[in-house]
Amino acid sequence: MPKIEVKQQAFFHQANMKPTLGELADLLPVLKSEVDGSEGEGAATLLKLEFNDTNRPDLWSTAGAARGLRVYYQGWDPQYPFFSSVGKKQADGGRKVVVEAGLKNIRPYCSAFAVAGKVTDEVLVDLIQTQEKLCHNFGRKRRTFAMGVFRSPMVKFPVHYRAADPDTTKFVPLGMTESLSLREICKKHPKGLEYGYIAEAHPKFPLQQSDDGRILSFPPVINSADLGSVEVGDTELFIEITGTDLPAVTLAASIVACDLADLGFEILPVTVEYPYDTPFGREVTFPYQFQVPVDVELEYVNRLLGVNLIGDQAQKALKKAGVFSRYENGVLTVFPPPYRNDFLHPVDVIEDVMIGHGMENFEPETPSDATVGRLSAEELFGRQVRDLMIGMGFQEMIYNYLGSKKDFIDKMNISGHDVLQILNPMTENYEFVRNSVAPNLLETEAASAHAVYPHHLFEVGKIVRLDPTDNQGSVTRNSLGWLSAGADEGFNQANARVASLFYYLGVSRSDTPGESPKGVAGVRDYSVKESSDPRFIPGRAADLFVGGHKCGVFGEVNPQVLENWNIGVPATLGEVDLDSLLVK
Amino acid sequence: MDWDNLVKSLHPLEVKILLNFGPETALTATVLAQKLDFKVGQSNQSFSWLVGKELALESGRTSTTVYEITDLGRVHLAQGTPEENLLKALEKGPIPMAEAAGLLGLEQKDMGSAYGQLAKEGLLGLDETKRIVGKTHQPSLRMQTLRALLVRAAEAELDEGGLSPEEVIVLAGAAKKRGAATSAFKTSDRETVVYKLTAAAQEVSEVLKAKGVTGEEVNALTPALLASGAWKGRTFRAYNVQSPPSRLIIGRRNPYQEFILGVKDKLVSLGFEEFDGPLVETEFWNGDALFMPQFHAARDIHDVYYLKNPTHAKKIDEPWLSQVAAAHTDGGNTGSRGWQYNFDHDFTRRLVLRSQGTVLSAKQLTKAKVPGKYFGIVRCFRYDQVDATHGADFHQTEGIVLGKDVNLKTLLGLLKMFAMEVAGATEVKYVPGYFPFTEPSIEVHIKHPVLGWFELGGSGIFRPEVTQSLGIEVPVLAWGLGIDRMALMQLGLNDLRELFTNNLDSLRQRKRS
Repeated sequence: MPKIEVKQQAFFHQANMKPTLGELADLLPVLKSEVDGSEGEGAATLLKLEFNDTNRPDLWSTAGAARGLRVYYQGWDPQYPFFSSVGKKQADGGRKVVVEAGLKNIRPYCSAFAVAGKVTDEVLVDLIQTQEKLCHNFGRKRRTFAMGVFRSPMVKFPVHYRAADPDTTKFVPLGMTESLSLREICKKHPKGLEYGYIAEAHPKFPLQQSDDGRILSFPPVINSADLGSVEVGDTELFIEITGTDLPAVTLAASIVACDLADLGFEILPVTVEYPYDTPFGREVTFPYQFQVPVDVELEYVNRLLGVNLIGDQAQKALKKAGVFSRYENGVLTVFPPPYRNDFLHPVDVIEDVMIGHGMENFEPETPSDATVGRLSAEELFGRQVRDLMIGMGFQEMIYNYLGSKKDFIDKMNISGHDVLQILNPMTENYEFVRNSVAPNLLETEAASAHAVYPHHLFEVGKIVRLDPTDNQGSVTRNSLGWLSAGADEGFNQANARVASLFYYLGVSRSDTPGESPKGVAGVRDYSVKESSDPRFIPGRAADLFVGGHKCGVFGEVNPQVLENWNIGVPATLGEVDLDSLLVK
Repeated sequence: MDWDNLVKSLHPLEVKILLNFGPETALTATVLAQKLDFKVGQSNQSFSWLVGKELALESGRTSTTVYEITDLGRVHLAQGTPEENLLKALEKGPIPMAEAAGLLGLEQKDMGSAYGQLAKEGLLGLDETKRIVGKTHQPSLRMQTLRALLVRAAEAELDEGGLSPEEVIVLAGAAKKRGAATSAFKTSDRETVVYKLTAAAQEVSEVLKAKGVTGEEVNALTPALLASGAWKGRTFRAYNVQSPPSRLIIGRRNPYQEFILGVKDKLVSLGFEEFDGPLVETEFWNGDALFMPQFHAARDIHDVYYLKNPTHAKKIDEPWLSQVAAAHTDGGNTGSRGWQYNFDHDFTRRLVLRSQGTVLSAKQLTKAKVPGKYFGIVRCFRYDQVDATHGADFHQTEGIVLGKDVNLKTLLGLLKMFAMEVAGATEVKYVPGYFPFTEPSIEVHIKHPVLGWFELGGSGIFRPEVTQSLGIEVPVLAWGLGIDRMALMQLGLNDLRELFTNNLDSLRQRKRS
């Protein structure tokens, strides 16, 4: 979630209010925002604001957040007359960007505009922050779009947006003193190392060039040191945005233009000429309002909100949320402001009505539909198993499911062929999903030598086993695992516990050895067979079978496994697949 | 002073000592053996107990001589002493002196001393032909005494203090200090501790008498006593009911698991049916079905765990795949304009570890009843550094409510119910929130009596792109609760990792939440 820093003084000035921090906390929820902290005192106070709505990048600046508050609480109705739209072109004063055909499959879109006004330190800091937040959070780390700000008087129009040769094109990038080729910038400049890969995916790299040949920038990587170093005191700026998604590229320009307009800058439109078709045509003058009105039936709004607003009320609510609308014949027609593009579905209007109407005006109602509550069959069965284990003196455990190769495979003396591995683990400590409860139990035992013996532990939890026959290649199973450790622990005790557990679960012991006990219809039997599971002592472990299928194993833990875990007492382990015992 | 508990803690052996001796008597094991018939072990144990209770003191040490039977003495005990054997042999008639040693299997010097001793006592003599002649078959008093001493010494060493002067004289002739291999007894000096009862013992003795405690009380009620009825008319030794108990290790539920069970039961009581699902999911269910665009920041490789092998599911079930893909591309027939991008059919099959519980809410839509309420407390995995507030995997509590007439106000009512019933909140506050799959979205903040204000959960009404793509035409309330914070509070912990603790000792001691 985006977080920004705003100077409290400037923020309150632009919002035309002077709340205390406590009051501000109560005002911000209408922007889905909250104060995340503050630094400094008095005029120097810096506020940290957090925004929850990743679809509202217009709020991620001092001007944007201030506008949201001023519109909601003071009925402000800001006007942005500089927008062009379908059939309405603002004068561009000859400012043009010409796009080369070669960009169509590289980074096809560009938006641009210029501003005139006084660039103060505050404006500059906020503009840089806006650029970063927009390009990082909304522009997907500059992949969808990236933005550059230049000293407009030095730019000779038309600006050329080109697909340039990465090796023969050279310039001095911002922050450096030597001239580098575009490819060298990707290898040497810090921004090149971070964003160069976006350009390097194509044989030619994007380039913004002034008509006199001077280079503005190598988007989305870096501006030139020449035209790209904006300073306090500049009076005219040229702003361009390049990217792969025209609505996003356009919206970003609109957001920055509205912010600067709020700060008193004059917005000077720029026309971009494409040699290929775009969703908005071959010639687009920016800032450009592309959003289309959204119709929503008032009845739908009322039904989803559980209220009975009339058209006027809904319109007033929308106005507080900064949205102009018309109401006619039961239909609200909503005109999204130029800096917003989050109305995907009529339902998106409803939230703005809700916020504008005020949360406090919705009275909670208890849902009246009668439904039958019910635990899952697996949960109920798991509870029976837990009760039996506890009755046998076992302490219930609950474990994390991720672990290391060392713990889940190496120490267990197993091949690990059916243990699920994570492709992108954060650390090797959490690289595998457990295929058995046993390693967790042994880990506890290894850490509990000081606890009074004997130890009896168990967990009913989930395990995952690779299974090529499954659509997803693995299956999640509910599993019971248990461990007993103490000087007197051995196979016979484990055997007795299995018999007791199964008896009370309604599965009796078959005298027939092997895998397929003959069961009487309706009566379930289990049988045992000597196990070759490498985790146990040969000859002292048994595989468990129910209905001819292996459903578990138990026995004396192999001393090699105990040594691997640095456990100094004998232990028995058992594990049963509960899903195969559950009668649905 | 209140002697009651002290009196109850007295063993019958202690009681007998306290009742039978005054503070002036010097008490030793020997004395107790003589007067109370205590065995040495019983005496030593009693002294130790009494000293521990400050009812007896060590008043000094005395040195006494003790006699132990030797191996030779045991031979004499079993096969007779040379004197006894000689006397017995003479019953059959005189034996020539020269043949006697050989006949009796004795060395000449032993034969000589046996003969000399018996001759001195007038039990035998020598005739003219140098044959030994018995004068009587009756052993002398000394011999009888010696045999009795051998019998006693074989059971326990003999303390000089417990012997008669006659016995001491007899032993003097049969014992040696060192080199005792040739003697029946070995003698040594032993230091004996002497105890005296304290003044307090005197008082306790009075209390015992007043209470009628004799030391003859029944110690344990046995089946034999019950069968015979011999318990009747007898009293039982009273216990000190205030004595500290020992600690039992019992089988118990895990406190965190118990907390989760409690929340599940509560949700069931509110009419919710439980759902569950596999830990491995596809990108389709983990994100696409929730209308999160495939380019969404939360779907980065740095936010979700991918699987190494296999990396993709074989297929995604229809019609869900087509409908969801259409919703993403251009809204399909959900009334949305969609995200306007090319839905990636390869990416959607990619396997991940479930990163949000809402996945199961979405899956439930494909099989849900209307009206219906469903919930799950399920394990999720997120790409996070493990620390006090982030686990390698964690629980999410999620659910949905389907109904023709559910709306924002019923959503708020539902949240209020959770706040009061599940979290025990005293106040509830609702603020607009944001989730990619709900519109409108609401966060619920509660005031908890202990924790103060905090965010209990997120919720909203599922977007039509989510519900209609999965075959549901009615509104669906979706909610998620953060219960781990309450779990930590209830269990008195402050680190999420402790919920999954490996520390058996601390788990055994953790109290019920």
